[in-house]
Amino acid sequence: MADHNPDSDSTPRTLLRRVLDTADPRTPRRPRSARAGAQRRALLETASSRRLSSQTKMTTRRYSHGVRSISGSAYVQASGHLEEQTPRTLLKNILLTAPESSILMPKSVVKPVPAPQEVQPSRRESSVGSLELQLPELEPPTTLAPGLLAPGRRKQRLRLSMFQQGVDQGLPLSQEPQRNDDASSLTSSLNLTFATSLQPQSVQRPGLARRPPARRAVDVGAFLQDLRDTSLAPPNIVLEDTQPFSQPTVGCSRRVYRSLPCMPHTGAKDAELAAGCKTRSSGPGMQTNSPEKPAQFLAGEAEEVDAFALDFLSTSSGVSGEDGVEPLQDGVEEAEKRMEEEGVSVSEMEATGAQGPSRAEEPEGHTQVIEAEESQETAEAKGPGASSGDEDASDRAASPELVSSTPESLQARRHHQFLEPDPPPGAAVLSSEPAEPLLVRRPPKPGTTGPRPQQDPHKAGLSHYVKLFSFYAKMPMERKALEMVEKCLDKYFQHLCDDLEVFAAHAGRKTVNPEDVELLMRRQGLVTDQVSLHVLVERYLPLEYRQLLIPCASSGNSVFPAQ
Amino acid sequence: MALSTTVSQRKQIKRKAPRGFLKRVFKRQKPHLRLEKSGDLLVHLSCLLFVHRLAEESRTNACENKCRIINREHILAAAKVFEN
Repeated sequence: MADHNPDSDSTPRTLLRRVLDTADPRTPRRPRSARAGAQRRALLETASSRRLSSQTKMTTRRYSHGVRSISGSAYVQASGHLEEQTPRTLLKNILLTAPESSILMPKSVVKPVPAPQEVQPSRRESSVGSLELQLPELEPPTTLAPGLLAPGRRKQRLRLSMFQQGVDQGLPLSQEPQRNDDASSLTSSLNLTFATSLQPQSVQRPGLARRPPARRAVDVGAFLQDLRDTSLAPPNIVLEDTQPFSQPTVGCSRRVYRSLPCMPHTGAKDAELAAGCKTRSSGPGMQTNSPEKPAQFLAGEAEEVDAFALDFLSTSSGVSGEDGVEPLQDGVEEAEKRMEEEGVSVSEMEATGAQGPSRAEEPEGHTQVIEAEESQETAEAKGPGASSGDEDASDRAASPELVSSTPESLQARRHHQFLEPDPPPGAAVLSSEPAEPLLVRRPPKPGTTGPRPQQDPHKAGLSHYVKLFSFYAKMPMERKALEMVEKCLDKYFQHLCDDLEVFAAHAGRKTVNPEDVELLMRRQGLVTDQVSLHVLVERYLPLEYRQLLIPCASSGNSVFPAQ
Repeated sequence: MALSTTVSQRKQIKRKAPRGFLKRVFKRQKPHLRLEKSGDLLVHLSCLLFVHRLAEESRTNACENKCRIINREHILAAAKVFEN
């Protein structure tokens, strides 16, 4: 095929020519084009220009990205031929429109279209010839009645018809069957479009196709549980983080947890009461049923609340905390018996769940539960010490078992339960704890700006030396340390004045001389035979003071200060 | 008079001696005594040296206790050393 025209001054044309030549084998493309066409046909509103542009785009894409750019340049060059409906103008229009849709048209349609468009009128014959060569391949494709073409096609037809007029009829023939194919595909696509609404978008941009999000049914149960866990867990974390010291965190967290459970506890209590089961009774019932119904653990929010309620009850009762774990085992059997008697299903689960997490570490909680059981069963007072203690042991034994069976979701509750029983026994500890952080923390700034007595200027003067002290220390100091420095300075001043008085009196004077001060310094050990006063003056005092203190001879045999 | 001297540290330590303050203190203590002109400067010098020694001793005590902050205990111990 004479592809390279000597007149072709623009590379895009040659490239297109080459593409056309290489595009001879149409059969492999047809199936693809057919498929693509079916996908694209989903769009009904594709305008003729769009189609044309898409077609051309398809061809350009197929050629290569470089070709596309080149084709763009070619179009620019062809801008001069706007007035006539030439393939160039058509291609240019296509480029201008630059439809996003990547509708794939049958290659058979695309190729002949762009190829002839780019070819200049002078070369149409040659291109036509190439197209003609391709015609026999195009003919085989099925051809539908031209009337099936969409109205948009008519425009294409018009444009193409003009082009065709300038070209042999081979081109239109080749195009028509293609159009027919498109029309048929369109009709099929029309049917498809109604069915699928999402497809068009994906069809237009297969690369950017967005698949419908896979939606799963929401697991309400798990969601609720997660909510509970998260609602309970975060506060602990937040509180712990806010505390700068490790010690207070424990105490504070305990207190916080205490307050936190109160909220859900109260709510749960109402729910429980509404259910008609006493929290106390539910507690023991829960224990008994816990081994029997481990699955029920997961059910409940109320479990936590029950646990809290129990804990509160226990705190009020003031049950002793850590008894031997050994008696627990003995009491387990007894507890089980009692549990079975209770026969409370829901509350049982809650109680078991609550108790499970609270283990022996929270003997109070267990004791509470036990007490609840007893109170219900025997209508006894809550605070039976001995019996409750034994039962607590049994409950504790049961609790560890429950703990093992409790799912992870209960761990959050665990924390709460741990905290609740801890406060009551650790009340004393808590009181001590706040004291510790206070010591560690810096004492609050003392507001000493109110009074302005004689002390103030005195302190102001001393503060000067205090600052010097901190400067010399080169280390961070506490406020109390600075206060101590002030006291030391005050004492030092008093001592100093007394000594100076003695020295002056010893010298028979009533005025303190600098020599007295020097003597004082010598006594202090600052001035020695090796270190004279002048040396110290020079070291520590500024120049101005040194001039005043150290006699210096100046011109004219004058000494300053005058001796 | 040098009001302040820029030191390597952030704080600007005033090198100026609070002469009025010293005089007031001395007068309050010993009203019947007088102080000479340059006497208060030397008193100021002695105070500087005292503070310097005290700070050094306190820092040594704190380092011995491996504390990063000077506590009052350290200062008290240092003062007792100088009181003897």
